[in-house]
Amino acid sequence: MSDVQRFEHGSRVPGWDDAADLTKDPAVIPDPQTTPVPAELRTQIEAEMARYPAGRERAATIPALWAVQRHYGWCTPEGIVQAACVLEMTPAELIAVATFYDMFETRPVGRNTVYVCTNISCSLCGADELLAALRDEIGEDPDVNLRGFECLGACDIAPMASVNGAYIGPISLDEVPELARQIREGAEPLPAKRLVLRPSADPKVSASTPEDA
Amino acid sequence: MTDILLFRDIDEPGLATIDVYERRGGYQALRTALKTDPAELIETLKGSGLRGRGGAGFPMGLKASFIPQGDMQKYVVVNADESEPGTFKDRELMQKNPHQLIEGVIIAAYAVGATKSFIYIRGEYEEQADILDAAVQEAYAKGYLGENVAGSGVELSLHVQRGAGAYICGEETGLLDSLEGRRGNPRLKPPFPANAGLFQGPTLINNVETLSALPHIVELGAETYSAIGVANSSGTKLISISGNVQRPGNYEIELGMSSRDIIYGLAGGPPEGREVKFWFPGGSSSPVLTADDLDVGYDFDSIAKAGSMLGSGAIIVVDDSQSVVDVCLKLAHFYAHESCGKCTPCREGTNWTEKMLGRVKDGTATPMDLDIMASVQQRIIGNCLCVLGDAMAMPVSSMIAKFRGEFEAHIEAARAAADRAAVGVAG
Amino acid sequence: MPRPVAQMVTFTLNGQEVTAPENAILADAALEHGNVEIPVFCYEPKIGGPVGACRMCLVEIEGIPKLQAGCSVPVKDGMVVHTDTPRVREAQEAVLEFILVNHPLDCPVCDKGGECPLQDKSFGWGDGISRFVEPKRHFEKPLALSPLIAIDRERCILCYRCVRFSQEVSEDHQLVLQERGAHAFVATFDGHPYVAPFSGNIIELCPVGALTSQPYRFRARPWDIEQSGSICTLCPAQCNVSFTVRDDRVLRVLQRDHEGVDDGWLCDKGRFAYQAIHVDERITQPLLRDGGELRPVTWELALETAAAALGRGRGRTAALAGGAATNEEGWLLQGLLRDSLDSADIDSRAGGTLPLDLHQALGAPALQASVPDLEFAHAVLVLGTEPVDDAPVLDLRLRKGVRRHGLQLFTATSRPSALDERAVLAVRYAPGAEAAFVAALDAALTGADVAGPAAAAGADADAVRALADGLRAAGEDIVVLWGERVCSGAAGADAARGLLNVAARLGLEGRDGAGLLGVPDGANGRGLREVGVLPNAAPGLAAPDTDGRDAAGIAAALAAGELTGVYLLRTDPLVDLADTPLWERALEKATTVIAHASFLTPGIAEHATVVFPAESHAEKEGTVVHPDGRLQRLRPAIGRQGETRPEWQVLAELRRALGNDERLLTCSMVTARMLESIPFYAGLTLDTIGADGTRWTERPQGAAAPAGAAAPFDLPAPAPAASPNGRLRLGTFRSIWASPEVGASPALKFLHPRQRVELAPGDAERLGVRHGSPVTVACDGRSVTGIAHVRASAPEGSVFLETAIAADSAAELDGPLVEVRPA
Ligand SMILES: Cc1cc2nc3c(=O)[nH]c(=O)nc-3n(C[C@H](O)[C@H](O)[C@H](O)COP(=O)(O)O)c2cc1C
Ligand code: SF4
Ligand code: SF4
Ligand code: SF4
Ligand code: FES
Ligand code: FES
Repeated sequence: MSDVQRFEHGSRVPGWDDAADLTKDPAVIPDPQTTPVPAELRTQIEAEMARYPAGRERAATIPALWAVQRHYGWCTPEGIVQAACVLEMTPAELIAVATFYDMFETRPVGRNTVYVCTNISCSLCGADELLAALRDEIGEDPDVNLRGFECLGACDIAPMASVNGAYIGPISLDEVPELARQIREGAEPLPAKRLVLRPSADPKVSASTPEDA
Repeated sequence: MTDILLFRDIDEPGLATIDVYERRGGYQALRTALKTDPAELIETLKGSGLRGRGGAGFPMGLKASFIPQGDMQKYVVVNADESEPGTFKDRELMQKNPHQLIEGVIIAAYAVGATKSFIYIRGEYEEQADILDAAVQEAYAKGYLGENVAGSGVELSLHVQRGAGAYICGEETGLLDSLEGRRGNPRLKPPFPANAGLFQGPTLINNVETLSALPHIVELGAETYSAIGVANSSGTKLISISGNVQRPGNYEIELGMSSRDIIYGLAGGPPEGREVKFWFPGGSSSPVLTADDLDVGYDFDSIAKAGSMLGSGAIIVVDDSQSVVDVCLKLAHFYAHESCGKCTPCREGTNWTEKMLGRVKDGTATPMDLDIMASVQQRIIGNCLCVLGDAMAMPVSSMIAKFRGEFEAHIEAARAAADRAAVGVAG
Repeated sequence: MPRPVAQMVTFTLNGQEVTAPENAILADAALEHGNVEIPVFCYEPKIGGPVGACRMCLVEIEGIPKLQAGCSVPVKDGMVVHTDTPRVREAQEAVLEFILVNHPLDCPVCDKGGECPLQDKSFGWGDGISRFVEPKRHFEKPLALSPLIAIDRERCILCYRCVRFSQEVSEDHQLVLQERGAHAFVATFDGHPYVAPFSGNIIELCPVGALTSQPYRFRARPWDIEQSGSICTLCPAQCNVSFTVRDDRVLRVLQRDHEGVDDGWLCDKGRFAYQAIHVDERITQPLLRDGGELRPVTWELALETAAAALGRGRGRTAALAGGAATNEEGWLLQGLLRDSLDSADIDSRAGGTLPLDLHQALGAPALQASVPDLEFAHAVLVLGTEPVDDAPVLDLRLRKGVRRHGLQLFTATSRPSALDERAVLAVRYAPGAEAAFVAALDAALTGADVAGPAAAAGADADAVRALADGLRAAGEDIVVLWGERVCSGAAGADAARGLLNVAARLGLEGRDGAGLLGVPDGANGRGLREVGVLPNAAPGLAAPDTDGRDAAGIAAALAAGELTGVYLLRTDPLVDLADTPLWERALEKATTVIAHASFLTPGIAEHATVVFPAESHAEKEGTVVHPDGRLQRLRPAIGRQGETRPEWQVLAELRRALGNDERLLTCSMVTARMLESIPFYAGLTLDTIGADGTRWTERPQGAAAPAGAAAPFDLPAPAPAASPNGRLRLGTFRSIWASPEVGASPALKFLHPRQRVELAPGDAERLGVRHGSPVTVACDGRSVTGIAHVRASAPEGSVFLETAIAADSAAELDGPLVEVRPA
């Protein structure tokens, strides 16, 4: 396979140069008889399917892919076939969905997910430098999936990052070594910079919040 | 002065729990609403003048009135995809006051006769989604959701569905396809979601902030609410302000306030010694305004008159230390990355624009490329299936038009630098 | 749902008044009623509604500020539309420029060059200059998407047609778009090939040269080929096709859209099996058995030998016609046999004799549903047939009905059907229990006792009741699509009576949009019956002077020496008929076996004494009858290959040699004689049949068809099923790919089936059989082997095997019960 183009920040991997492997069988809806599905995966997907009106169970596709990604660390072909089996869809329908969304990984990646926002507001505040510094600091760690990302909806804490779902910021370049260590060690990243702890910026809010709270 | 509604008590510890929310008067508006005839409720919503807070600014009550009467399965869907760069207001609302949103959803569902509802939240907002999930469970436990909403005999289910990272799923029909388990490609309209939305049933889709305002409208009444703000822009609005400002964050303002007061007064203006160079008044999709426009009133009509749009109410400030070329390239890259690829002008136009800007940046462009780029934007605008293409083309056009001199100077300088480098290598 | 009736409205198109059906899509209405072409790429009404993706079709509509997609706007009264204003032109140029941004423009080396919509549109609507100087994306090309289809992703303009076909027409859901934006590309899951019965249609749908036919690639350029319209006779669906011909060779088969027949689609067999026309294995000269070997001889010698042998066997010769034989051939054959050879032993069915009055009743014009009725009916019951195998293109028609018109589909089959997933109710019965099942359904419709017949059928009585209720509740327009196997075998006549009862109970007779549609085993099964290729029917379904033996009777009589010769018109009993062992003995014993064949299949290779090379369907002239009564005309697209002579001519010459003086000089003379001889074809000519065919059942002359037996009938209590004693009931099926043409086509060979033994998980476990492992299926000391295919949907107690395959065919086994064990 020749070198494929990647977006600058490595978030997507096109498969343009892939031909079909003519020795494989066509990928039809997997037969439950020949497709064993791990019980916990099946349970999760079936619970999601139950939320939708009868006949509309395919609406559980995205939750099912999340379940696969949680189970295997990424959306493995095997996991997709299993989800397809439970959903009674073809695996192609699932891969079409999985590759549409930025957060689904269709190639093996590290289990620790770190998104650094490099969109407008964050880059005005030094996000590109932050991403570069973090990349240097973390290096080639197979357990870390470090990606530049589009606006994460937290421009008020620019430059910022999401570490396994936890938003932190603003992150200064001085904090990068510590953050990298915390990511490697699985420690809580920059606890003081957690978005969820941040009070509102609006001065009227503190004025309106009753003292008895 | 009632200019604090949505953010009332917002930092009160525990507000995200149902006990505290109820203690602060939560779910009272719902009880009032359930005693009102749905048709009358829709009239109240219409009378409030509330316009959609998600970006398009469509009158909320009018949209609710488009939902057909009848026994068919109807849905309410909350657009919590919040992916427009610069926008982060829904995040704070959901994280800190989820029940306000849930109460709004129930009121809306009752008004239009929907018995199933969904919150579609962007996948990146994991922390907020967890909070919402917990709040929804509480609301079920307290009987605000389920088969008999607050003892009224009305039925409503609510489920939080997490996205997985795609800006286009904020576009309402892309969202619906995503919610149905597909790629989030926008649909052809008509039919509009009000007639054939989720699972082809009539569907009311509103933004988080729009629905969060409903309890307040019910509480205050249409007249009082509509008196807040200015003509055609009633009520309060959350403004997300970010970029080169000293105090970035969400602020609740009364619509009509001067932009300067927001940028300088609330957010503290650019860092010491810096000036506002240009600003996006309504998220990255809005054409940029400059320092000359700072005195424009912050409301739908005034911003439109200034040549831009209020959009999602997200102000991004760029100061005079920044290069317009860099911002423009970031912006084009974003839209090229997020284009769903369904329609030709957007898919190819965003991609082409990004490539041209790349050449502007690295010095391999000529001023003629600026003309081509400007004309490419004109060829995108109005020709796409949804407005994502326009959402790039309009701000890019505005930047080229307003800062053409800087683009040209950049091209010259980058070219000279590239030439020097080439000579250096050769010699 | 029944077809909606459209009202006509008037709108203004570029200043001219145009009248068109209300709500017709503007792009269609403009072209059809206003002669104005609005350029489109993504819009293709055959696939479904508009998607509005390519934006090529933008037009100006007065009163709407933005340009509108002409592919998506329904026509309204008084609408004022402009397609030629500067604004529209600018938008069209813009879209074309954008499309070409990522298009390689390698037309000189592109298979589509010369017949490419993108080329045409660039010429007609583009501004001819490209301002795109960025490097275009480059990818490896072309790549295999399947053994049949190559994909060139550089050329793809992401119009969605191919992936929509896979999702919304064939519903195989294998071909999808992956990634997003300008990075989106067409692909399958994880490099699996796109192999599905209808995959080839995407080649024709692709508006650029991104999807090309592997067998056709670089075989020809559009300017040195000719198109020639005919009919595909590889199955009863009889799709209308257009052969692409160069230098007297068929290079490609394209659809020739006929709403009443194929709706513009072809299956991959019909599309690619043309390759079998030009392979070396094909028989293209007469052969004579000489010292145990078949050797090429001159036509004169072959004809002489055949005539002499037939003459010697007068009164002791039988004939069988295969399904691909034309009406003319069948008519000549029965005349040869009945008039010149004093024999009545002729058949074209595999399933035994059915009383003539039942043939007549089942084919009665008032009871015939048409193909479009499948789409617009309230409900369709698919009974004892698997459309995707038996008449593939009908599978797509049913799916369309379900998807677009709210058709309620019911399936009642022994083997799980591909259509089950689209059915409101799928009912199973034991293989071979068709008569009992139909009796149970009849009982359910009349409120009689269902339990007894349902038990005999191995069906769930509640399911049968639900089926009856569902059909009644769906509406009045009901079509029963039934397979010939329903009315086959020992209880075939009872099943036919039951079927006629069901039709009567549902009030299908004389109702527009409702009725029966029988899928025969052979492509022209209906035509062959109507021209008299039955042991108990003369031309026109009239009673013959004497009744003869049916196929099974012929086999027995040959084996017993009561008959000495058999004439095989395009059929090999060892492939096409049941009970291979008996047929082996029969052919062994026969002194004369005269065959028309294209390939040396086992029966021909071992036993034929004279072989005449048979024409391919691209060489043939004549007529066939579609299962819904439409006479269709075959026209030769190429000259006959090698020394092949037309079959009708061979039959006519033998007829003359055996004493009939009438001179038949051309095929059209035969057609005329044949048509004249049949009262319900009266007045038809090749011209009136025309390019679109004619349903004789709709013509007033159709009333001349004999009425046959009248329902309702009293049905005998069905015999209870044999006790299994640990064995499984044998069910058989013939796959779409089980045909010699598929086996002989290099590109399709990979699909030619090998025996696979389908059984239910419970049975597999009990018998110690694992999925994918070899198993032996045995009965009465005979056995075949195959690969076990454990299917979750297979019914317990039954096992399904393929027939019509070269080795290990289920025809070796007699049934009804077989033993299955690991091999
Ligand atoms: C490309 C695009 C992205 C959008 N993203 C969002 C979004 O993230 N959140 C949102 O509420 N509306 C978004 N919208 C607007 C929605 O389509 C829709 O107008 C809105 O959800 C309606 O709710 P409202 O009337 O309450 O504003 C987006 C629109 C477009 C075209
Ligand atoms: S404008 Fe862009 S995002 Fe919208 S449908 Fe077209 S390609 Fe998709
Ligand atoms: S391969 Fe052809 S049919 Fe398929 S999307 Fe591309 S251009 Fe359209
Ligand atoms: S469905 Fe039958 S008639 Fe049609 S193309 Fe296929 S084989 Fe030929
Ligand atoms: S720009 Fe970084 S979070 Fe919005
Ligand atoms: S033909 Fe209308 S958008 Fe493609």
